[in-house]
Amino acid sequence: MSAEQPLTVLVAEDGATDRLLLAQIVRRQGHQVFTAENGEQAVALFAEKRPQLVLLDALMPVMDGFEAARQIKALAGEALVPIIFLTSLNEEEALVRCLEAGGDDFMAKPYSAVILAAKIRAMDRLRRLQATVLAQRDLITRHHHHLLNEQRVAKAVFDKVAHSGCITAPNIRYLQSPYALFNGDLLLAAFTPSGDMHVLLGDFTGHGLPAAVGAMPLAEVFYGMTAKGYGLAHMLREMNAKLKRILPVDMFCCALLLNLSVQRGTVEVWNGGMPDGYRLSADGKVVASLASRHLPLGVLAAERFDDSTEVLPLAAGERLLLLSDGVVDTADEQERLFGVERLRAVLAANRDPVQLFDEVMQALERFGGTPRDDISLCDIRMFTVEERVPAPTLYSDSGRSSPLDWSLGFALRGESLKRFNPVPYLVQLLQEIHGLRPLTGALHSVLSELYSNALEHGVLGLDSRLKRDAHGFADYYQERARRLDALVDGFVRIDLKVEPLASGGRLIIEVRDSGAGFDVQQVLSRPASEQGLSGRGLKLVGQLGSSAGWREGGRCAWVQFDW
Amino acid sequence: MTDMHIDHKVLSDLQEVMEDGYLQLLETFLEDSERRLSQLHGARNADELGMAAHSFKGSSSNMGAVGLAQLCHQLEERVKERPLYGIEDLINRIDQEYLEVQRFYRGERARVSAG
Amino acid sequence: MAVETDFSQDGKKLTIKIKGRFDFGKHQEFRDAYESQPRRPDSVVVDLKDTTYLDSSALGMLLLLRDHAGGDDSDVRVVHASSDVRKILAISNFEKLFDIS
Repeated sequence: MSAEQPLTVLVAEDGATDRLLLAQIVRRQGHQVFTAENGEQAVALFAEKRPQLVLLDALMPVMDGFEAARQIKALAGEALVPIIFLTSLNEEEALVRCLEAGGDDFMAKPYSAVILAAKIRAMDRLRRLQATVLAQRDLITRHHHHLLNEQRVAKAVFDKVAHSGCITAPNIRYLQSPYALFNGDLLLAAFTPSGDMHVLLGDFTGHGLPAAVGAMPLAEVFYGMTAKGYGLAHMLREMNAKLKRILPVDMFCCALLLNLSVQRGTVEVWNGGMPDGYRLSADGKVVASLASRHLPLGVLAAERFDDSTEVLPLAAGERLLLLSDGVVDTADEQERLFGVERLRAVLAANRDPVQLFDEVMQALERFGGTPRDDISLCDIRMFTVEERVPAPTLYSDSGRSSPLDWSLGFALRGESLKRFNPVPYLVQLLQEIHGLRPLTGALHSVLSELYSNALEHGVLGLDSRLKRDAHGFADYYQERARRLDALVDGFVRIDLKVEPLASGGRLIIEVRDSGAGFDVQQVLSRPASEQGLSGRGLKLVGQLGSSAGWREGGRCAWVQFDW
Repeated sequence: MTDMHIDHKVLSDLQEVMEDGYLQLLETFLEDSERRLSQLHGARNADELGMAAHSFKGSSSNMGAVGLAQLCHQLEERVKERPLYGIEDLINRIDQEYLEVQRFYRGERARVSAG
Repeated sequence: MAVETDFSQDGKKLTIKIKGRFDFGKHQEFRDAYESQPRRPDSVVVDLKDTTYLDSSALGMLLLLRDHAGGDDSDVRVVHASSDVRKILAISNFEKLFDIS
């Protein structure tokens, strides 16, 4: 009868006859046997040979089996070394003592080889099971440490991504759980060359590394295009296309994008899948919600993607509150949700804007349940002109030669007017001229302003006086979208002329439209406040350039920059 | 062959298990049991007597000396009760039984050494 | 079973019913429901009558289903959604992709 797996076995028995017999029985079963005459010898032999199984006589001189068993178990530590007590004791008390001392089984005299073999087999199975459990535990622990380390590194990289914009601008207050970004919550902010501010609050599906992976490419597009002065619609198309391309089908990014323009006193909004944002008056009352009207980014193919935005008035001092779903979806033990009503109650009760976040967090805490680790809150106050910081543009050339004697005409006609905005490209072109680089912000503002005037008032024939109040605002932009959609003919033409001067040079910008023109004298004689934001804004434009004016009955606006 | 002293089935199993070591086992038992018997006689109190009986019982049963094992068991149980009347008698009977057992195993030893 | 499937008599309409929470735990079962069918159904109905909760991974699973069923040419309907579940679908504007009732 041979064993499945040979073991090393320790036999401790004080009777010479029994010891001899038992050792032989075990050896015949294929195992290697060491023998001891008493408990002390048994422990010493165990420490030296480290057998896998121990047969221990209960009553031995010098040190009895019970004490020996205790010491052997202590030496064995985590590993299971089965101990089979050899005993003819059959009082329950004695058997209990065996178990308490660490015995795993008993063997009675006279010894039966058959029974012993069965017991050894059973004990060995247990021993191997324990060994497997320990090995797997150690493997899991190692992997766990690997994972934790990888996450630490990934988090460090992603944190850099999140904090390279203007999120620390004075008009933005935000709060994010430490692992928010890691769980797919993204909060980005950056200034455009003309001083507008773009903000993105995003929420990728999933948690952990898979969720955070989409953040990097998205942030790259956001910062890159904002710095070049691209508009929201174009950026949205790019971001959607990128995510659609790189993310698997079941992953997407809910996002709320904002474009704040002090110059125009507006905020342009696009919300695809994020909870309602709130527009707050200067004294903290909820004036409007920024609701989700689009599918999240990365779901629709480019042809079906809807980049239409909403434009709302936002005066200096008014605020926008954005939040990720971690706030509203916080659940208590009964799985009830915190919900929009409770949030709005907190907003209504708030007196001091500085306290708002604390009040929200306290309300969440009082509500109970487990705090979520993907909570993002963002409070944006409409900034003043002084707080603007145009983005530093990066130039890729050596900075030596500039083209100083050239002209360019660019006309957008008909259908092209609907989706394409030529301003960022033209600004980039002008950056070839080193002398103009410090004026990049101004150039961007001027070109944007003139282009949008030409398009909206010239080609589409919209009356800027509509934008006087909030209601009129919504009407104005709705009408804009409608007229643009219905557009068939019409053009906006931009001419750039650069000529050298004695020291430096001169840039002349002319923007023409196919509209009816307007009574220049009449508009210029209106009070400045009317012109500033909702009017043709030429005075403002004039402040940025060296000089400016109108021609051709209001159909051509020109600006001159000298350097 | 049945008899009251030795269980021959146990004995033949022993031979099979021990193989070439059977002789050594016999020698060990004969030597070991002499010692145990003097241990029995030399016990100073009831506890020591009980333990000696217990040990002797174990090795006897392993060797198939069932009569001896049974007597040792009786002694082991007997010493738990006080007073210890009739203990001498039991010990004598063990001595007698052992003589038989010893004679038998010496014979076995001779048989195995020869063959 | 948390995810049940049912084919119509003519074998053209596949109905998938989700019981309890529709979250990441249902991922494998849900995929098996439509991937392991011998015939490609003409239309798919996702029945959420007994669905108590829906999270963003469920939205992702619906997108996978839609993709598998033919993308823009698919006919996937989501029916019997409770008001809570409808709210979640509404925020993501999923009615632009699915017929929701």
